[in-house]
Amino acid sequence: MESRTSVPGEAAQLAALTRFLQDFCKTAELPSAAALPFEIALEEIFMNVVMHGSPAGRLARVDVSLVLRDDDLTMAVVDDGPAFDPLSLPAPDVNAALDARRVGGLGVYFVRQMMDAVSYAREGPRNQLRMSKRVMRANAAPAGTNPG
Amino acid sequence: MFDIHQGPAGEVIMSGRLDATQCDAALKFLGALARPGVIDLGGLEYVASAGLRVFLLTQKRAKAMGGGLKLINVHGPVHDIFRYAGFDQVLDITRAGD
Repeated sequence: MESRTSVPGEAAQLAALTRFLQDFCKTAELPSAAALPFEIALEEIFMNVVMHGSPAGRLARVDVSLVLRDDDLTMAVVDDGPAFDPLSLPAPDVNAALDARRVGGLGVYFVRQMMDAVSYAREGPRNQLRMSKRVMRANAAPAGTNPG
Repeated sequence: MFDIHQGPAGEVIMSGRLDATQCDAALKFLGALARPGVIDLGGLEYVASAGLRVFLLTQKRAKAMGGGLKLINVHGPVHDIFRYAGFDQVLDITRAGD
């Protein structure tokens, strides 16, 4: 199962992208617990593009694709903004005292924590971030059980 | 989608999805409170790093005034996000059902 969409890189598009992801997960009969890490990853990566991907006023174009194969869901976020590898950001200090706490870097940290695999590539004029994670389908009975 | 208001005992009640597009509204609401304290997150379904910034900034302000936030009724998935970020070390957080 595959689906893709494309939006301009502006914050107001976050709701549409989230709906696109939720609709895909619903159609695929994935439980909401499986969709959540992808919702968070999508917000983090998309908002990075919104904030840094449109210098000089030209809005970046952001393509999001979802592929469910076997039990692996893969999400790719591709944008035509300036070259930027979010995976190069240093990890945040999640043990710092309150005064020293910053939120910068936390988003990418979440993505790394929640996904099974994350990779970045610059392909021609585009950044491509690919994330995948094994998901459990709602209708899949564990082996050896009889759902009756 | 997202709602923030004050309950009868002065507590702040947040519900829905606190995504990046809702943070300004949440910060504005919390910034208008003289002394932010208890925030009931029983209806909060979703938060990511932009939403965590709302709690971080508000906690810094509350601490500077000699107080501090108490986040109550925090559901499992939202609690996990606070914990991943290590925010359970700098905020008073009580899970739903505790």
